[in-house]
Amino acid sequence: MASPCAVLVDTPDKTVGERVGQIVKLEAMRIEAKFSRYRPSVVTSINENAGKPIEVDEETADLIDYAVTCHRLSGGLFDITSGALRRVWKFDGDKRLPTHARVRDVLRVIGWHRVSWNRPTLKLAAGMEIDFGGIGKEYAVDRALTMAKDFSPAPILVNFGGDLRVSGPRQDKSAWHVAIEDVERAGAAGGMLELSSGALATSGDTYRYVMGSGVRYGHVLNPKTGWPVADAPRSVTVHAATCSEAGLLAKLALLRGAEAEEFLKAETVRAWCIR
Amino acid sequence: MRVQLKRKVSASGSNIRGALAAAAAGLLAGSNARADESPTTLVDSALLVYHENNRVQAIEPEISVSEKIDDDSTFTLGFVADSLTGATPLGAVPSTLPQTYVRPLKIVALGTPVTVTTASGGSTVVIVPPPTGAQFQVLGASKTVPANTYPLDHGFYDRRLAGHIGWDQALTQSLKLNAGVAYSKEHDYRSESAHLGLSQDFNAHNTTISAAVNYESDLSFPLGGTPTPLTVMSAQWKGPDTTLHEVDAVAGITQVMSRRWLTTLSYSYSNAHGYQTDPYKIISAVDPISGQPVTQLYESRPTMRRKQSVFWDNKVHLNTDIVALSLRGFKDDWGIKSVTADLRYRWQIDRDFYLEPHVRYYRQGAADFFHYYLVSGAALPQFASADTRLAEFHALTYGFKVGMPLDEGSELNVRIEYYDQHGNGSPSYAIGQLRQQNLFPDLKAFTVLFGYSFAF
Repeated sequence: MASPCAVLVDTPDKTVGERVGQIVKLEAMRIEAKFSRYRPSVVTSINENAGKPIEVDEETADLIDYAVTCHRLSGGLFDITSGALRRVWKFDGDKRLPTHARVRDVLRVIGWHRVSWNRPTLKLAAGMEIDFGGIGKEYAVDRALTMAKDFSPAPILVNFGGDLRVSGPRQDKSAWHVAIEDVERAGAAGGMLELSSGALATSGDTYRYVMGSGVRYGHVLNPKTGWPVADAPRSVTVHAATCSEAGLLAKLALLRGAEAEEFLKAETVRAWCIR
Repeated sequence: MRVQLKRKVSASGSNIRGALAAAAAGLLAGSNARADESPTTLVDSALLVYHENNRVQAIEPEISVSEKIDDDSTFTLGFVADSLTGATPLGAVPSTLPQTYVRPLKIVALGTPVTVTTASGGSTVVIVPPPTGAQFQVLGASKTVPANTYPLDHGFYDRRLAGHIGWDQALTQSLKLNAGVAYSKEHDYRSESAHLGLSQDFNAHNTTISAAVNYESDLSFPLGGTPTPLTVMSAQWKGPDTTLHEVDAVAGITQVMSRRWLTTLSYSYSNAHGYQTDPYKIISAVDPISGQPVTQLYESRPTMRRKQSVFWDNKVHLNTDIVALSLRGFKDDWGIKSVTADLRYRWQIDRDFYLEPHVRYYRQGAADFFHYYLVSGAALPQFASADTRLAEFHALTYGFKVGMPLDEGSELNVRIEYYDQHGNGSPSYAIGQLRQQNLFPDLKAFTVLFGYSFAF
């Protein structure tokens, strides 16, 4: 997941704490291994077979169904085949922007409309790739928290790199205190939230961006144009019942660019934007 | 800056959120149905390889399984198999002349034809004349040690199998019970024990007070029988089996001193009653002028032993690393006093990968009845042993441990350690030829311990 992962358990019993930690860690590692882009996994298998039909397991099929729903609800802005844009956009703070020609070329292998999905059979067009990076981490938080909750009634907070969810308030009924990272300075706290239920997910550009003509281009790319979304907020934090919902809403808000706040307001989402 | 998340109310709006909530619910409900079992079983396995310079080698595999039955109780089951071979000190002093030792090997029926063969460790099998009226005869093993060589018993071997069962139960939120039984069997020794302990938390679990009691019952049935203490070494079959009973009690307090520092202080008391002599070890009675061994006698230790020790352990959590320092002081009514200091530093190099250097210092004073040798002709003391484990010595252990994560939450670790023990091999009062002998050769040992743990 390339993020620090932590779990907090409010319990006096060290054994419970260790067991919950073990459960959460194993689930995070399982999901990371299963959907990793970098090691032999379900995802690399799918991508290597682009152009040919491939049958996927129940869990992968559920995630694809969910991604399809998100694609539809976002009017096509959320697209798990958009990972190919990584081939032309490198967000390492550098000043080099790709040429329009290169972006046009890569758009030819992007777009869910080029995918044939007939559960459980998936067929990507040749040269396409999928990745669950946009929903995987939040899904892992939800799964890990549910499994931890099944194991122990103790108050638990699962936090995978800033996407987090709690099982309920703390033992003494007080809220969990969560620090929000400052968008300018990675590692510094920019604010404090009090959380008694549900999940938080944050999307933003603190780490990944490219500077071009003095303009900071965030890493959220519009899969229809191939270019970063203009005027996106620097960071959007959303609160929802599950981390999956919170994460998706945060990304959808970012994809709306200048209209991020309006979108969140229209959807009556509890959120916090930083520009 | 503290910000409370506020609900933004709006009249209009599409309902992407509602549809999304439903979709997420579907995704997670589906995943719940096929949720894997939360890991409740932890398995710890290890393989120990131990090697002393020119002495004992041991290999010891071990496995322990711990199963969480419910929120409050855990069941543990473990097995250890031990295999030791090599040579161990006899207790006799070296001499400028070769020496021959005999010990009983086997009982056979009277008149059984015996071919003289070589027994383990280079001994020769000899026939021992049976006592008059005996219905059996004994085969002995005879070993000759060259001049100026520290006498070792090269036929030393031991195979041990041990198992233990444990139960941990939370009685209330802060009171816990632990209990267990253990059993161990070697070819000449059997041990059974049971323990019971309680621990109680105070001060919002920052303080824990614990106490435990252990009872052990052992049976010794050495090869060749149990010798009568301080009698002359021979190949005659010796006496019957013997028993040992021991009660140990420990009480301790663990305190969270600060967010980073945890400390434990405990006191132990132990009372052992029964046969505590080593039936294979001897002590030399030497000529008062020349220092040459005259006879070899079986050693003798008291049948009562009371031990006490105080232990102080500290763990300090630095940013990602941990320092552990412990001290132990020990004394018993055999006259032995010892101190141990142990320091470890766990250097967390990566998420799970760690390197842990370790150093341990141990210093011990001799037991009252420890003697390098007895003087022939002088009155025999009540107890005497030349076992260097009861002598004055100091030892340094140093090494490191490396831990590496594998897939799915399992860990592989390797511990490599070197043990270096020094005693006084040339006491100033040594007589005659003993002045030129090394009465306490240094012991050096190398240990490699492989560990593998996983959960499912």
